[in-house]
Amino acid sequence: MIPDIISSLHGSFKPGAHSELRAQRSLARRVVLLGGNLVGNTRQDSQGVSARVYSNGVYGFASAADLSQDAARKALDTASQNALFLDDKVRPGKGALPQIAHGSLPRQADFNDVEQKRYLDFTQALDSYISGKYPGLASRTVVATADSMEKQLLTSDGYAAHTLAPRSYVYVILNAVTDKGMPVEVFRSFGGRGSFDTVFTDPAALYGEVDRLYEHLMNKREGTFAKAGVATCILSGELSGILAHEAVGHTVEADLVLGGSVAGPMLGQMVASPLVSMTDFAHTAFDQTAPLPVYVDDEGVLAEDAELIRNGKLVGFMLNRELGRHYNMRPQGNARAFAFNDEPLIRMRNTAIHPGPNKLQDMIAGTEEGYYLMYTNNGQADTTGEFMFGVTLGYEIKNGKLGQAIFDTTISGVAFDMLKTVDMVSDQVTWASSGFCGKKQPMPVGVGGPELRCQVMIGGR
Amino acid sequence: MTREQQTTTAALQALERLGAQQASAQAHTSRKTEFNLENGQFTLLRTTLDHSLALQAFVDQRRGTVSGNSFEPEAIAAAARDCFAAARDGQSDPAWELAREGGGSFDTGAFTLDRELLFNRTQEMLDAIKAEYPKVVLESVSAQHVAREGSYLNSHGVAYDSRAGSYGVFLMFSGHEGGKSSSFNHSSFECADLSRPFLDQGSLRQNLADAQKQIHTQPTKGKFEGTVVFTPDCLGSMLYELVSNYAADSVLLDGTSLWKDALGTQVADPRLTLSFKPLDPRMVSAERYTQEGFLSRDYDLIERGVLKQFMLSAYAANKTGHSRAPNTSHAIIVAPGQTALKDILSTIDKGLLVSRYSGGASGAGGEFSGVAKNSFLIENGQLGPAVSETMISGNLAGMLNSIRGISRETMEDGSSSLPWLAVDGITISGK
Repeated sequence: MIPDIISSLHGSFKPGAHSELRAQRSLARRVVLLGGNLVGNTRQDSQGVSARVYSNGVYGFASAADLSQDAARKALDTASQNALFLDDKVRPGKGALPQIAHGSLPRQADFNDVEQKRYLDFTQALDSYISGKYPGLASRTVVATADSMEKQLLTSDGYAAHTLAPRSYVYVILNAVTDKGMPVEVFRSFGGRGSFDTVFTDPAALYGEVDRLYEHLMNKREGTFAKAGVATCILSGELSGILAHEAVGHTVEADLVLGGSVAGPMLGQMVASPLVSMTDFAHTAFDQTAPLPVYVDDEGVLAEDAELIRNGKLVGFMLNRELGRHYNMRPQGNARAFAFNDEPLIRMRNTAIHPGPNKLQDMIAGTEEGYYLMYTNNGQADTTGEFMFGVTLGYEIKNGKLGQAIFDTTISGVAFDMLKTVDMVSDQVTWASSGFCGKKQPMPVGVGGPELRCQVMIGGR
Repeated sequence: MTREQQTTTAALQALERLGAQQASAQAHTSRKTEFNLENGQFTLLRTTLDHSLALQAFVDQRRGTVSGNSFEPEAIAAAARDCFAAARDGQSDPAWELAREGGGSFDTGAFTLDRELLFNRTQEMLDAIKAEYPKVVLESVSAQHVAREGSYLNSHGVAYDSRAGSYGVFLMFSGHEGGKSSSFNHSSFECADLSRPFLDQGSLRQNLADAQKQIHTQPTKGKFEGTVVFTPDCLGSMLYELVSNYAADSVLLDGTSLWKDALGTQVADPRLTLSFKPLDPRMVSAERYTQEGFLSRDYDLIERGVLKQFMLSAYAANKTGHSRAPNTSHAIIVAPGQTALKDILSTIDKGLLVSRYSGGASGAGGEFSGVAKNSFLIENGQLGPAVSETMISGNLAGMLNSIRGISRETMEDGSSSLPWLAVDGITISGK
């Protein structure tokens, strides 16, 4: 664990200036086996200290790659000078930030940073299983990865905290070639919160998942292109989670609202079917610990859930302290920084659409023609709410039954139009947490949702 | 000795003492100064002092790598131990290689920051945008200077030292009028000095002007096959996707590249020459040596339509029997064509001018489908209205053989030089 170098530095804060000090250590471990060749075998550590100081509507920030009290004091001093430089140049004259609750959270427990051999042994065992059972694959890739973010935070007027968030994943990528020579690929990630040795105890526990992935690959090898145009689609929980994050979540981040996102003027209006509710959960969702829990943010704000859509109505934004004042709303712990040398930005945490009353099998059975879209490899959206998701696995639905698999495609639409077409919502929420959200800085986030039936534009031929 | 040289020397000695038969060490220090703006207002001044240390060790041709960010002696020793352990427990592979020759010292760009002028140039840009593009809202802007010093050393005696500095500007913005807004767009560029106004660089003026024209859009009707003209900004992202799919390490190592047997053959229209040229004077503080310790040299990936070179590391080159790429930079250059952009547009019956593509990663086959963002309809040789909810789909490799025209105009942003490129046979679909 990082040494406690900042909890005794409260006296270094200048009176009246909101100030933050953060010491941070981030770890990443990675092993990559491509076709049995060890092409990646690396461990990354980075650590340092940063300070941010507020002055009349602008911030100064400074950091150094050094975990020491001297470095912390120096960063605080430089951050103060930076804030004064900018305040003097632009004179925003906004005064002090509104008060927030203060206190401290107990230190979180350490985790087992396992040696590299553990990742190597796990990937080699899983790769051996795949190559032995499925020798006809065009190629295979197995990746083991783990990362953790440990932060010690001290603020002048908010919460002090020590937080530690390890997560571990295994990725399997399988490739085959169609009869016409076209490569096809399927990809799946497994894992979640925790150190690698607690999340993955035995490679054999993944064999069943690999077998299912191989079946999908064989189906996709015999697949067909989706027909371009608007179609009835059932989005898996994985896709509805990405939808919640990309197409809705970003538009209700207050910095993007301020920049003119489509959601700004729609607060209090119906933006979705009454079947749709959505929340950015802080640490507990649907009575369970959320995939990547956040208890306090990097401005020292105690984290609580941010309710965004209630029964189809847009009811809230995600905020930091500065924009909480601007919109006269309470910040709820969304200001987070990725690395020690990054400033806090408004970020999502665990964003999910709530489950509904329907069963997936009934949703498929009740669809005459359309697609069941299962896996995605990425998603993008812009401030108009227009979104795009890559779909890497899906099946046709014909007369209420699953048909042929489809090749890679893309779906797109305008979130607040598309969400109004939702007419069925399943009762099961699926979470994903292996990815990073990109917004100047990367950030681990959880996304989740139930299956949704909706009308959406699909790319194809 | 610089602190970076002391660090690489200490790290290499530590790895060799542990028993590494081959090893390399890289150390960098970077100082960044960055103004951040939200909604067109200055919000943050950020200064960071960062170190990076990257070690690589080979034990019986088993390779391990670690990276850290401390130059302290105990941190260097710990990194060396971790690196050695990772190599010892790894898998032997004769294909791993470190450079056996090379070396040099490089000093590029503007190492010393002029903070006052950086602020003034940024303020000047804001004032000009407000006056000249009044419908544009600047969602976020960053203007920064980065100064880097580095050292590379390997056990074959190859040594590099570098000192580089550059300024960089990034803007994200959209057009707004009467409750309507365009999709967001962005522009960025790098420059070696502050002699020119920011607004005159890269694609800034073009994209800001377009944002005002993209506030009011029309959905495309139906589905048709048409011609797509990619702007330089969009072309860059499409070409990176293309070369990743067909010419990069992973797809040649796993054999899924459609170009795996195409070296020396025609893979594109003969008018296309695509190069990676970090030494081109238009590239700002680009790569001078590779992570494997090789001196960077310019090369053509595609010359007059013929595939001349894959983008391979030394490892992947040894594995596949092809040659190593002479650099690993992203300094992409497409040679300009002979025709003016307006003359290319005048030949198009129906299509799109696409400034940004929002699509999923294309599969190994190169099939792509995604949303045409910040785009305009082209009809009967004329630019029409901005479009919304419009998808384009096609095949990346097929695109290169369906080129209608390459503009003689190019756009330079300090890390690329690209023309406008028109491609036939793209499926365009709307509502």
